[in-house]
Amino acid sequence: MIESRNNIRTFGSGSPTLLFSHGFGCDQSMWEPVANRLADSFRIVLFDHVGAGRSDLSAYDKAKYASLDGYARDVVEVARSIDTPDLVFVGHSVSAMIGALAAIEAPDLFKQLIMVGPSPRYIDDGDYSGGFDEQQIEELLEFLDNNHLGWSAAMGPAIMGNPDRPELGERLTNSFCSTDPDIARDFARATFFSDNRADLSAVPVPTLVLQCSEDIIAPVEVGKYVAENVPDSSFVQLEATGHCPNLSAPDEVAQAIRHYVRS
Amino acid sequence: MSGPDPTEDLLDLYENAPCGYLSLAPDSTIVRANRTLLGWLDLSADDLVGKPLRDLLGTGGRIAYETHLAPLLRLQGFVYEIALDLRCDHGLVPVIANASEKRDESDNHLFTRLTLFRAEDRRKYERNLLEAKIRAESEAEQRDREAELREQFIAVLGHDLRNPVAALKAGTDLLKDSGNLGTEDREIVTFMDSTLDRSIELINNVMDFARGRLGSDISLDLQPAPDLDRKLETVIAEAKAARPDRDIRSEIAIDTSVECDPDRLAQLLSNLLSNALHHGRHDAPVMVKAITTRDELEVSVTNSGTPIPANVLETLFQPFDRGSKQGNHDGLGLGLFIVDQIATAHGGRMEVVSDEGGTTFKLVIPSKESE
Repeated sequence: MIESRNNIRTFGSGSPTLLFSHGFGCDQSMWEPVANRLADSFRIVLFDHVGAGRSDLSAYDKAKYASLDGYARDVVEVARSIDTPDLVFVGHSVSAMIGALAAIEAPDLFKQLIMVGPSPRYIDDGDYSGGFDEQQIEELLEFLDNNHLGWSAAMGPAIMGNPDRPELGERLTNSFCSTDPDIARDFARATFFSDNRADLSAVPVPTLVLQCSEDIIAPVEVGKYVAENVPDSSFVQLEATGHCPNLSAPDEVAQAIRHYVRS
Repeated sequence: MSGPDPTEDLLDLYENAPCGYLSLAPDSTIVRANRTLLGWLDLSADDLVGKPLRDLLGTGGRIAYETHLAPLLRLQGFVYEIALDLRCDHGLVPVIANASEKRDESDNHLFTRLTLFRAEDRRKYERNLLEAKIRAESEAEQRDREAELREQFIAVLGHDLRNPVAALKAGTDLLKDSGNLGTEDREIVTFMDSTLDRSIELINNVMDFARGRLGSDISLDLQPAPDLDRKLETVIAEAKAARPDRDIRSEIAIDTSVECDPDRLAQLLSNLLSNALHHGRHDAPVMVKAITTRDELEVSVTNSGTPIPANVLETLFQPFDRGSKQGNHDGLGLGLFIVDQIATAHGGRMEVVSDEGGTTFKLVIPSKESE
């Protein structure tokens, strides 16, 4: 049930098991380049958050996924469904915080956390600089309203009403990142209006922060803030630029993960 | 030489095409833009080349570029039909953009190429559609809320009316049993008693209706009902007692124990019977028939009288339809609506035949024979 709800895919072999979690925007394909590079020495688990990729859209619950806690509950369930004593969670972007919440909820399930481009709060607040103000987040929501990125409204009800007919969920053009516009909007709100600064000090497992330069979504200062506030943490500055090093610099990211997990 | 030169000037096509061209390095730095685009933005090439793409985008566009468009370009090599607003000194230039990655033989990313179409009117049109959709949705939501409130009110009203009516009914029951009533008194009490029965039925209808509208459909307690015939007989006996002046005949022949909700079917029969007694000719009998065929259960009520006009037949089972202009009505017109709901909830249907020979309402439900 959880397997199909979150479209879980497992491959590779070795220990520990790496559980990759995608952020706001696309789906598990974001992690494929990195995961493929690590599959020779680790067991790999990829999944889609509910509402993204090929997850079961009929499992989407507006109230549950209005905050990151709903997604974190799912991560705990996914982690529990993987039967291994050595599980390392690797979260990109907002999934870094989703992983932190999951680890706080169920510390025994996770051995380490790896956060790629994390941000505990995107909106500026007093001395804290998250990089955005509320007006700018509203602009993003407007962009999402104007761009459905290959999502066809007619598909929504068809997929929702026919979970037993997966052929109706076949991908369309631009479909890697296509999401029901309403769900994309909800996820954008849950992501960009989140504030998990207070949770950082409660992260119970060793944590690695991987930080890009010129990342407008999660600037360097924000990544450092995370590393400073998580008790047992390391900070690694990547050569890569932008917000998606898992796609733009998969070699470097895979290397950094391998090094941290093996050391 | 005569005629136009057949060769197109490709450099000129690039620079002055009726669309904008923009090329980015893999790190999203602008490396080239055509003259058309520079003209839209009122910039020179020097202003633009070397700048990051994000300088041209609003915040929404920037976040979307990082979270959606850049990943899509990496994953599938192209993105089509993106609505963007380009920022420049004189405001925003709304465009529709297609983008693709130029890669070398070993799949290394060389450039990202964007083709941009100015789309002021189209984007305005889309925005208007979007606003209209949002407005329509919020109005519909408002209407739903109001309707729900009204229906909740109906449900509460129905519920609150139950107790006083039940008290009156208990009173008439006591009076009926008392030995010292004169003949005339007894007639009055019998009349009051049947009026109260009718009131209770109306209240139950209102509450069923409100429940149905509030999302909880008519609830069924499906069970093998070997005593269905007795339940139906009771309804007929009650009707006879309430209307001793009327001739009510019945033929009950139910062989199998049909899986159904016997109380709901009794309610259905009670509704049909009370309609027949109301609308049928008072000097002619009302006939109740309940039979099982090989795979169906049929319950029908027939009365004589003026046929129901064809146009009324069409809407007979809708709520608040009162068989219009037939006069002599009471109640909200919910009875047949609920009858129909009960039939549907059983996976069955209602059939009506109305002509000079009489009016028959017939319930037909599949009789799943229970073990």
